[in-house]
Amino acid sequence: MEVKQFSSIFENGVTTYCPGCEHGLLLKFIGMALDELGITEKAIMVGSVGCSTLAYKFLNVDYVQAPHGRAPAIMSAIKLLEKDKVVFGIQGDGDALSIGIAELIHAANRGIPITVFMYNNMVFGMTGGQMAPTTPEGMKTTTTPFGRDIKQMGPPLDACKILSSFPQISYLKRVVITPKPIFTKDRVMYSSKEAMDSYKAVLNAFKTQLMEGFSFVEFIGTCNVNWKMSILDSKKYVHEVGVKVYPPALCRDAFGVEKK
Amino acid sequence: MGAKAIAEAAVRSGLEAYFGYPITPSSEIMENISVLYGEKRYPWFKVFLQSASEIESVNMLFGAGAAGYVSMTATSGPGLSLMAEGISYAYASEVPFLIIDVNRGGPGLGNVAPEQSDISFVLNSLGHGGVKPIVLAPHTVQESMEHVHKGFELAFTYRIPVIMLTDALIVHMYDTVEWEPPYIVKPKVEWAARGRNYGPRHIINSIYLDPPELKGNKEKLLQKQKEIDKIAESECFMCYDDLDVLYIAIGISARISKEAVLKLRKKGIKAGLFRPITLSPLDKNSILKYSSHAEKIVSVEMNEGQLAQEIMRITRKDVEVLPYLGGYIPDVEEVAEAWK
Repeated sequence: MEVKQFSSIFENGVTTYCPGCEHGLLLKFIGMALDELGITEKAIMVGSVGCSTLAYKFLNVDYVQAPHGRAPAIMSAIKLLEKDKVVFGIQGDGDALSIGIAELIHAANRGIPITVFMYNNMVFGMTGGQMAPTTPEGMKTTTTPFGRDIKQMGPPLDACKILSSFPQISYLKRVVITPKPIFTKDRVMYSSKEAMDSYKAVLNAFKTQLMEGFSFVEFIGTCNVNWKMSILDSKKYVHEVGVKVYPPALCRDAFGVEKK
Repeated sequence: MGAKAIAEAAVRSGLEAYFGYPITPSSEIMENISVLYGEKRYPWFKVFLQSASEIESVNMLFGAGAAGYVSMTATSGPGLSLMAEGISYAYASEVPFLIIDVNRGGPGLGNVAPEQSDISFVLNSLGHGGVKPIVLAPHTVQESMEHVHKGFELAFTYRIPVIMLTDALIVHMYDTVEWEPPYIVKPKVEWAARGRNYGPRHIINSIYLDPPELKGNKEKLLQKQKEIDKIAESECFMCYDDLDVLYIAIGISARISKEAVLKLRKKGIKAGLFRPITLSPLDKNSILKYSSHAEKIVSVEMNEGQLAQEIMRITRKDVEVLPYLGGYIPDVEEVAEAWK
């Protein structure tokens, strides 16, 4: 079988993320979408702090490394000065919703045509599995050994709910990137629907930017290492608990890119 | 007004992007620049944006610098504290921009009167991990204008954040200035992240996970610092002979001290003033030369003696401090009296 080479991805899309993590999948989709739209040569990626930092090793595009949470500010400045370029950022839920929520909100409110991809694995992954603002109620992390207490910490932050109050956002979507396990008699198979949906969301987010709109896509994924689960259990968790806290939704599609 | 002069100088020198957050006493710079934005005379001035915080400002500067554009902001002490993170990242990633720090009274909220209490912060601790930006210290409105231009040039020559350290008095002062026909700073930016454009990719990065890689980057920065050390500049006013007293001052304190020196010279007292023009790098050779011929060294500053510390570290000589705290400015008579 012939393996298709993507000009924007190094080494056939092989990444060094933990086994079972969907982060690499997201990067692959971004690379594929850049190639499909023919915008690899004019893409500028802004990295954040967390596991998403490693993106620069796997996507062969121009790269600027932002401080923790500040990627939307950097993306905004680059886009304002380089209007014909495609500027996108990959952030984690800790980066975008904890330390960097101010930068995200203001960039979104200004509606500067940039694209933010947020990989939401409900913990701080890179630092070893501490509680994030997105951690679901009762989830045990290294800083909430008895489970997240929402009386003290509040309920998990919902990025799509927060951002849907800003009128200048053009594309706002939440998808699940974790493939759904399907149990048959003798083995486990994985659904491909999630991957197809995620790729479509990436593509549509870029299309929105090309039509001068701000786009934000949240990907619900796993972090089996820090959840201290097996790969299979983590994928089950996303589809049993994760989707209840973060139901997939198309919250905004101002240009109607979904239908096209 | 100083702020207007700085704004004009910046835009005429080729400012392409201004990002700022209001803070007294620096806001007038931003206000004056906002008026110039959109004027047909300055087609290169592409972006003016009021950010949501100083954290956002500095990161927007970082973005503009990473894409190879001439950018600046003006702020004051509390804002500069917030910017320290971004400056550290910019220093490590070799991203150029200019920050004007209009020094106000500190620490904490302090007050909005002029002080020179950010010297130690700017020179020694502007961000984590060992950061050494270029620091300029103008003492007149005229020099402020020249330093803005010079700041852009230095930032792009050495790919480094440049801080112009000034104070509330200079920025709010009315003064006569002369502006030479402008010449625009047009940096060459093959390294900038503006898209691959069918060539190799550009990486503006400060993460080096392997110790040998990080060591390599630090050594590269230190090597660059050796080149930067060569641009050290200073002025020694009336330093003709063996001195009875050598005053040391920057900014508005230097301007006032010059008057005191002239007063003393009229009385026959051999006084001089050493004024660092670049605070970092500090002109070590000159300060060693002039201080070795001086009976007494007096540092006139609007803080508890931060500049004196830097001078003592180099000269290993006692430096008497004449401090003005809380927003008081040096008095010519008092400065002159301090020679005894």
